[in-house]
Amino acid sequence: MSAVCVLTPLVITSWPVLASAIAGAAASMGFSIQTTPAIDENNATRKKGVETEIENSEIIAEEMGRGQRIVIVRGDISIAFGQDDRGACTVCVTGAKHSDSELRAIGEEVAGRVVQQFAYHKLMTELKKRNYAIVDEEVLADDSVRVRVRL
Amino acid sequence: MERPEFDITIGKDGKVRVEVKGTSGKRCLELADLIKEIVGHEEKRSLTAEYYAPDGKVRIDTKVKLS
Repeated sequence: MSAVCVLTPLVITSWPVLASAIAGAAASMGFSIQTTPAIDENNATRKKGVETEIENSEIIAEEMGRGQRIVIVRGDISIAFGQDDRGACTVCVTGAKHSDSELRAIGEEVAGRVVQQFAYHKLMTELKKRNYAIVDEEVLADDSVRVRVRL
Repeated sequence: MERPEFDITIGKDGKVRVEVKGTSGKRCLELADLIKEIVGHEEKRSLTAEYYAPDGKVRIDTKVKLS
């Protein structure tokens, strides 16, 4: 090796691309997707939950309807992805049988997987555009993804 | 002939670790910058022995003093 870099992805993208990353992360973690129409916040049922966000994220607004969300569910856990006033992707985790710290940990784990999916697809798309060859690809025991690319 | 490679690991927290292999010097940094442009913010970068390896274009000048 000659240089090693550690990078934090910037998740600046359209809603459809982010939705695709959410779907990939949900599938890999045993969640299923529940599509919902726009929610009237005043009438929404209040549940115990915590809210976090995907770091360094910005959803390009014009392709996202106001109040639009993607909800994924697994058992009693429900995670809603939406957008805050600054454009960042919010992650709202609810689950009556879990403590706030458990819900926060689940939210952060799922948010990390969404970023993993996003980074993987962005890298593959951009490297293939440049005609670089993917020579090896594997999912490691710790759920990280390793890809070897030859120029 | 150089056969540069990226060895990319995308962690489950989303962090991306990239090793640029098979090249050295300026070309190596250019390739690292390419991945940075695609992914985003660089947290850290380290250079290894291969980076400092000669690229085959080393010229050695010597002067011999005749007395």
